[in-house]
Amino acid sequence: MIKHEGLKEEFKYVTKPDEQEHIGGLFANGDMLMQEIAYNLITGQNDQVGILVKKALEEDYSANIVLDDGLIAGMAIVGVKFRDNIIFVPEVLISARAMKAGMEHIEPILSASGVEPIGTVIMGTVKGDLHDIGKNLCIMMLRGGGFSVHDLGVDTKPDEFIDAVMEHDAAIVGMSALLTTTMPNMGTTIEAFEDAGMREEVKIMVGGAPVTQEFADEMGADAYGANAVDCVQRAKDLATSNK
Amino acid sequence: MIDINLKLTKKQRVLNALAGEDVDKPPVSNPTNVATVELMDYVDAPFPDACRDPELNAKLALTGHTELGFDSIAPYFSIIQESSALGCEMQWEQKDNWPTVRMGNPIWKSVSDIKIPSGFLEHSDNVAITRSITILKDEVKDDVAILGKTMGPWTLAYHVFGVEPFLLLSIDDPEETKKILRKLKEITILFGQAQIDSGADVLVVPDHATGDLVSGKYYDDFLLEIHQELVEDLKVPLILHICGRTVDRMPSIAKTGMAAFHFDSKNLPSEAMEAVGEGIRLVGNINNPETLYSKGPEDVRQEVYRALDSGVQLIAPECAIPLKTKIENLLAIPDAVNEWVSNKFQS
Repeated sequence: MIKHEGLKEEFKYVTKPDEQEHIGGLFANGDMLMQEIAYNLITGQNDQVGILVKKALEEDYSANIVLDDGLIAGMAIVGVKFRDNIIFVPEVLISARAMKAGMEHIEPILSASGVEPIGTVIMGTVKGDLHDIGKNLCIMMLRGGGFSVHDLGVDTKPDEFIDAVMEHDAAIVGMSALLTTTMPNMGTTIEAFEDAGMREEVKIMVGGAPVTQEFADEMGADAYGANAVDCVQRAKDLATSNK
Repeated sequence: MIDINLKLTKKQRVLNALAGEDVDKPPVSNPTNVATVELMDYVDAPFPDACRDPELNAKLALTGHTELGFDSIAPYFSIIQESSALGCEMQWEQKDNWPTVRMGNPIWKSVSDIKIPSGFLEHSDNVAITRSITILKDEVKDDVAILGKTMGPWTLAYHVFGVEPFLLLSIDDPEETKKILRKLKEITILFGQAQIDSGADVLVVPDHATGDLVSGKYYDDFLLEIHQELVEDLKVPLILHICGRTVDRMPSIAKTGMAAFHFDSKNLPSEAMEAVGEGIRLVGNINNPETLYSKGPEDVRQEVYRALDSGVQLIAPECAIPLKTKIENLLAIPDAVNEWVSNKFQS
């Protein structure tokens, strides 16, 4: 049950019944502190999120509870607002910054506890492309969604994707491109995985402003994400299909 | 090739269309790059050299007229010349990819850092464009429209401040952001005027406040007034270019006073025409990755027809084309326009 007045207003942007049920469920226990964290994350108050997360941990909330019921729950609403064009990249960036401020307190605890991620994802912008804002949003959402993500940055050569998969024993690769000249490098990278005899071992998802489902299919990708929210769902689908 | 009775020169056709005046047929234009790897090989003017050497630049730009049959030529192939001259770190790439600014290593952090280097216009990467325009003007005289290009302040801000820091600043400190845009506008005017002085008939102003990144309200808050001022400052017809979904901000763009808006295929021609009304002409919007790059001439023809049937005044690819686009698909654009005009007169 949502008690926080600001959060109630934010929740009005969640209009699909299945999402209302899912995201509403994250707030079901009615904890005011978690709702305060979620609201401050949605509105991009990074200092406040850091303070509240620290306070929650000091009050013996578990790191997992703060992550799930505070940060991820807030980010779920950010994702819906972004997908539905209610907010845009600058607003998502300030929420991401707030998420990071909270994660600084949570990550050391989670690492020490040995909690297993949903899966490991290698992310990079393809060779010849230096644009990374979409990829960075995806990484932020994936981490918030429970994945371990290794960011290869921009201008990533096929060999670098392959090496990273081997090094981190990753089952999912995510590639991004903004330029129409570099989009074909997604196909080149997929071919490199085939040549290395590793194509069956990894699921490959692609995205980027000019990329479409049709193009992803032509390149032989396993999944296409239209935006950062979609990317997390596709990664979850691929992680499930790997099991 | 369909023979139709033409009364106007290519240049006059473009200028008339931009002014909303009568034309003998809708012009085929290229506010953004139409040079391909095939054309680079044909005239032996490959990227990145053709972006940096005026003679090679002019040779390659001219193919838009001589080989593709477009009504305009555009020597500024990418979006990075001024940023290189400002001192940004560059990745010049090879002939099959565009040069790019390494925006992950921005050169400035605040408005006080913005300083236009002395000799900015004499920087070789700016001279590559201005000198090329002079060469092209000598070559085509007043027969073909020469489209110069000068980056708008929003795009320059991405290059010099980095996309993420700049977008964060826009929320953290909107007033500082506005000061930055005003200061960067000086660069837009400086390089734009240099191209006009060299012989550009029209200027394209790419300013990527796209719906893929920011809201329509951002356009109103940060850019509308600046774009209106550019119309006062640069005395040739201006074509604003913004990629991506833009229909939500098109009513505002129609108030800039610019001659035309170059729009992306993510916006339907019919909805775009409705959004701008009589306020501005539209240039566009043949899809790049799916149609021009991946499909064939018949698919191109259908998209040209869709744009013309909707009332789009100048036909062009939606944005800089993939460099390995097949020439036959580009040739299909003017062919389809001619066929459409011919059918119109017959009916």
